[in-house]
Amino acid sequence: MDFPRSLRPSLFMTGPLGMTDGPDLSFMCSWRDALTMPGSQPPNCEDPTVPLVRNLLWEPTTPGPLPLLPPDPDPWEPGMTPQDLLFRGGHRYQFRPQVGLDVTEQLSRFLWDHGDIAFAPLGRLMLENFRLEGNKGYSKKMTIVSVKRLLQDLGGHQPWGQVASEKAAMDRPGWWCPWAFLSRRLRRFSILGGPVLSRSVSMLLGRLLHEELALRWEQLLLDEAFTGGALAWLPGRTARVGQLVYPSGDFQEVSVNSGGNPRVFEDPGHIQLRGPVRQVVTSTVQGETLLAVRSDYHCAMWKTDKQGPPAPLKVLQVEKGATGVSLRCWPLDKDKVLEEGLGCWILTQHPVSCSPHLPGEMAICSRSGTVCLWTPQDGLQLVYKDPETLVFRDPSPWRWADFTAHPRVLTVGDRTGVKMVDIQGPPGCGLLLFRAGAEAACQKGERVLLAQYLGQPGTACTPLHLICTQFSIYLMDERLPLVPMLKWDHGLQSSPLFARLLPPASPGFPRPLLLGGQGGQLQLLHITGEGPSMPQLAGPPQSLPSVVDSLSAFPPLEPRRQQQLQERLEAPVIGLAAAPPCASVPALLLFQLSAAGDVFYQHLRLRSASGLGEGSPDHPAPEGPAPKATAPMDQSSWTPQASARCSRWAEALMELSPTCPVWAAPTFSHRRFLGHMEQQKSQPMSQKLRAAMAKGQLLRPEDLGTLPRAEPPPAPQCSQQDELTERLAESWENGVAAWWKGHRGQTSGSQTQTKRPKRRTQLSSTFSSLTSYLDIPDTSSPSCSQNLSTSEARPQPPRTQPSQELTQELWTESVQRERQQTLQDMAKLPLQKDTPGPVATPPSQASSLRAMPLRRQAPVLSGSHPPRKKSRMGF
Amino acid sequence: MSKFRDELTRLAVAERDKREGSVLSNPGMHFPWLQERIETVVTGGKKKRDFTQTTSVCLSFIQEALLKHRWQQAADYMHSYLQTLEDSDTFKRQAAPEIIWKLGSEILFYHPKSNVETFNNFADRMKNIGVLNYLKISLQHALYLLHHGMLEDANRNLTDAEAWRYGEKSSSQEVLINLVQAYKGLLQYYTWSKKKKELSELDEDDYAYTAKSQNMLSQSCKTSASISALLKTPGVWDPFVKSYVEILHGIVPSHPLMLEFHMMLRKSETEEHQKLGLGVLFEFLDFAGCTKNITAWKYLAKYLKQTLMESHPAWVEEEWKSRRNWWPAFHFSFFWAKSDWKADADLAYEKAFVAGILLGKGCRYFRYILKQDHKTLKKKIKRMKKSVKKYSIVNPGVRT
Repeated sequence: MDFPRSLRPSLFMTGPLGMTDGPDLSFMCSWRDALTMPGSQPPNCEDPTVPLVRNLLWEPTTPGPLPLLPPDPDPWEPGMTPQDLLFRGGHRYQFRPQVGLDVTEQLSRFLWDHGDIAFAPLGRLMLENFRLEGNKGYSKKMTIVSVKRLLQDLGGHQPWGQVASEKAAMDRPGWWCPWAFLSRRLRRFSILGGPVLSRSVSMLLGRLLHEELALRWEQLLLDEAFTGGALAWLPGRTARVGQLVYPSGDFQEVSVNSGGNPRVFEDPGHIQLRGPVRQVVTSTVQGETLLAVRSDYHCAMWKTDKQGPPAPLKVLQVEKGATGVSLRCWPLDKDKVLEEGLGCWILTQHPVSCSPHLPGEMAICSRSGTVCLWTPQDGLQLVYKDPETLVFRDPSPWRWADFTAHPRVLTVGDRTGVKMVDIQGPPGCGLLLFRAGAEAACQKGERVLLAQYLGQPGTACTPLHLICTQFSIYLMDERLPLVPMLKWDHGLQSSPLFARLLPPASPGFPRPLLLGGQGGQLQLLHITGEGPSMPQLAGPPQSLPSVVDSLSAFPPLEPRRQQQLQERLEAPVIGLAAAPPCASVPALLLFQLSAAGDVFYQHLRLRSASGLGEGSPDHPAPEGPAPKATAPMDQSSWTPQASARCSRWAEALMELSPTCPVWAAPTFSHRRFLGHMEQQKSQPMSQKLRAAMAKGQLLRPEDLGTLPRAEPPPAPQCSQQDELTERLAESWENGVAAWWKGHRGQTSGSQTQTKRPKRRTQLSSTFSSLTSYLDIPDTSSPSCSQNLSTSEARPQPPRTQPSQELTQELWTESVQRERQQTLQDMAKLPLQKDTPGPVATPPSQASSLRAMPLRRQAPVLSGSHPPRKKSRMGF
Repeated sequence: MSKFRDELTRLAVAERDKREGSVLSNPGMHFPWLQERIETVVTGGKKKRDFTQTTSVCLSFIQEALLKHRWQQAADYMHSYLQTLEDSDTFKRQAAPEIIWKLGSEILFYHPKSNVETFNNFADRMKNIGVLNYLKISLQHALYLLHHGMLEDANRNLTDAEAWRYGEKSSSQEVLINLVQAYKGLLQYYTWSKKKKELSELDEDDYAYTAKSQNMLSQSCKTSASISALLKTPGVWDPFVKSYVEILHGIVPSHPLMLEFHMMLRKSETEEHQKLGLGVLFEFLDFAGCTKNITAWKYLAKYLKQTLMESHPAWVEEEWKSRRNWWPAFHFSFFWAKSDWKADADLAYEKAFVAGILLGKGCRYFRYILKQDHKTLKKKIKRMKKSVKKYSIVNPGVRT
């Protein structure tokens, strides 16, 4: 365990998060990490820079992940969406949309769909008859309502069919019941009972519902139950064979053939578990592979052999007793039952982690801040207990525990920080490893989502810990706490709950660090730096395709099925695993488990043609021998095998029973309607009406044959002043410019109207001039030639030094000039494009566009659709 | 002016945060993906302008292209993204230069056809667009030049930055200026050390020597002045302070220097130090990264024997007490006996000695090594058997 020879310079600031006055030195640039200062180099090293692997890329061989196994037969429904929870619509003229939970609609839906639950208790309170208060002069017949008759009336008008009991039916709120007008009795009851019923129910239910909705919404933004992931890879006999462990099929043996495609063995092993599995952890210690599984109320551990099925070691069950909670654990032979009371626990979700040092050790923590170590000799052992959060007060009960380089030191984490606790020392002592605060330049509202020990057992690698937040990842060296060794803003659009650090493809290469978001986004970081050099990014991080990107591989289906398929593919990811690369095959096999229970795989190949230590950057390699960097593999198309696999999978999915229940036509009491109608209308019509109602269909006017002929819609009126027609006619005769001039003179009433298009054309002329510049390379100036080294010949504007003497106008003018120059600067890059011509979307991009949901496709880039902008600041 | 603008920006951010937070049940937590989720639902509020839409879509395209390493594509999109400089939203317009700098510098760093000139041009333009970013960009620009081995250019750049002032000197500016000065100092240090090297190759009586040493002296004065300002600011300044290891070994028990520390303690006359010497070894071997360190095991075996010969079994007992329940599985398991013997017989021998002393001759590790037949180690193993019999802290007969 060597110390890094030199650490990256960074400020040390203390204070709460987001309040730092100092600058954040992590400028979100990936190459900053590759810089090493000359002074910190060993004296014999002449080159002051560390070679940066520029073309390091794990290249996916298919445009998206493919299904590994047939779809999970268990029914699955996509969970709540923001549409279900948020209040739609809102106040206009607001700077930003105001959001709120839509309790009203949820409540009304609940009352409709579960009226029996909502109103039955009140209904049961009713007597046989009840008396309506009214004018004393009214007869009893007018004021006394018989509940029996009321029920009869209601019985025929249930919108949800005749299934529910009549009594429940009566308990509907008549207040706005559309059927209330059917009988006078019902109407009277509805008016009378409405306010009472709705108020009592909404008071009772409203608060509970709001709580529930808030919980669901929070879950939608971050579902912490699956932190760590419920998918694991168990190494097998050889490097290319292993077992996938996941909740529904449990132990599935998978081998990887030379082409990198996984082969699934028949007959997976099963483990019977009660409750959904939330987390699966594996660890290989001293040649033994151990597997720990966490469900809501159980933790279990298995030992796996290289051959044969895994052998269960221990099951811990957490039972809620009447007074407090006790924890019971027993060896599986059930001969002796150990009981241990561990004080008051609230155990619902208890993350587990396996020790990388000692076989069979496991750390479990509860939501109340209790951490236990389970060892084969001593059983459960309370290690740490603190119901408070570590750094500042945070309401989240989420807790986490993991191991460190020292077998008797554990990390304990919550949303605000991570602490290292020596379990041999006095209780409560420890050292903060990470702190959500100014030390790590955290943003406001940043919280720890995952903490993971990245060390490998036995090896002398740097004892690193990975900390993931919503915004960034941090690599911490446990010997040098608080100031991160590496920080990277991942920019994932969902919570990063899964991370896997894999061994390098071959010795000396950077190690791939996989980062998975719950929404399916995947990122791969290249981490280098062992022993005396500090951990750093070896190249720019890359994103990997997510499961939704595979939609294009599936055959087109009818819209409803297509939607079903898309929802299935968009299901949140709950597990991430990878078959690590080995020396013989520098390829990676990624597995993802979705919440629907489907397993997808993605094959990645290492492309680092220029390799490590390729010529230093100021002596770039000549154009010729680096073709691999410029000619990326064609990933945009699907192989026939992949498409076949996907279509088989889609077929299997469609054969499964539909997830949504079959809609049944509501039954109505149509006695009254028809009786009335029969007197007036002719016989065939009533028959048709009756038939249609029985079938639950609509009676269309054509069916009755009495359809009045509809008038054709009015044609657009062609005015003489139609500009478009005029303009088209003019352009046909090449006279648009003249027409435009005339037109402008005609319409230039106000100044703004002329200015706006002028500004617009000014800006777009900048663009169009650039484009034409692009189209014709090496015609006039040498700067347009392919060789960039002559770029000094380009016209350069005088450098302006900003000074305070500049007046505001001058300043804005110079800013404008600078900006235009910057635009041109940026434009120089495409100059060097090998193919002159307009900028075209590469095929892969086009395909990704196609795969995108419609709503994301809607906005068009300014190239084709000039934005209507309001100009300011001298533009 | 700048203060007022800062204040405005802060207010705008605070206002936005307040609104975004209204729906959350964990009030303090922020989700970068919150806005996107809300936008799929809330149709009320001001309609997003086309301009805003195209800009934000363009930004996401650039980010995607960057993460897919499609530099050319990112550069193409960057064209269109520059329109964000004219956003009518003041907050966005102010944030734009920094975003453009981040994305642009990233593209220009990796683009296969970009070169130092392109980067220089871009950096010089960007420095003057959002003046508030001047120092940050200068610093990063200097790092870029350093990375390309252009030390003189980098130095010039830092000198420019050092002299730059804008408005009242804020504390964040101050820190950045310190940093700029420190990097400059580092560059000076680099030239100084180069000169020192040249000097060492020269003859002392040479005329050039005097001139050069004079030069070097003035150089080192400049360097120390540059660095000292930064060192007053708390932070990690490793490249600037070379002697950080000395500070660290005292607090990190897994540091390799701990073995030297042990040797020093062992030679000490006081009993207290000798006892500490034993503790240092045990602590060192606690760490997963140090388990294969043969020196440590050799020291421990030797020192255990010595300690027990000098009849201090209490010292050993004290150290062993807390490790009794996990060292056997951690160090002395049957698995390790086999794999250690296979990988390094000498290591296995030393470990077996320690295992025998601590766990008695019934220990599996010890027994496994004893059974092995090794030509060179045969005698040693025999001697070990004897020592273990004599000094083991475990009573014979008790097996683990």
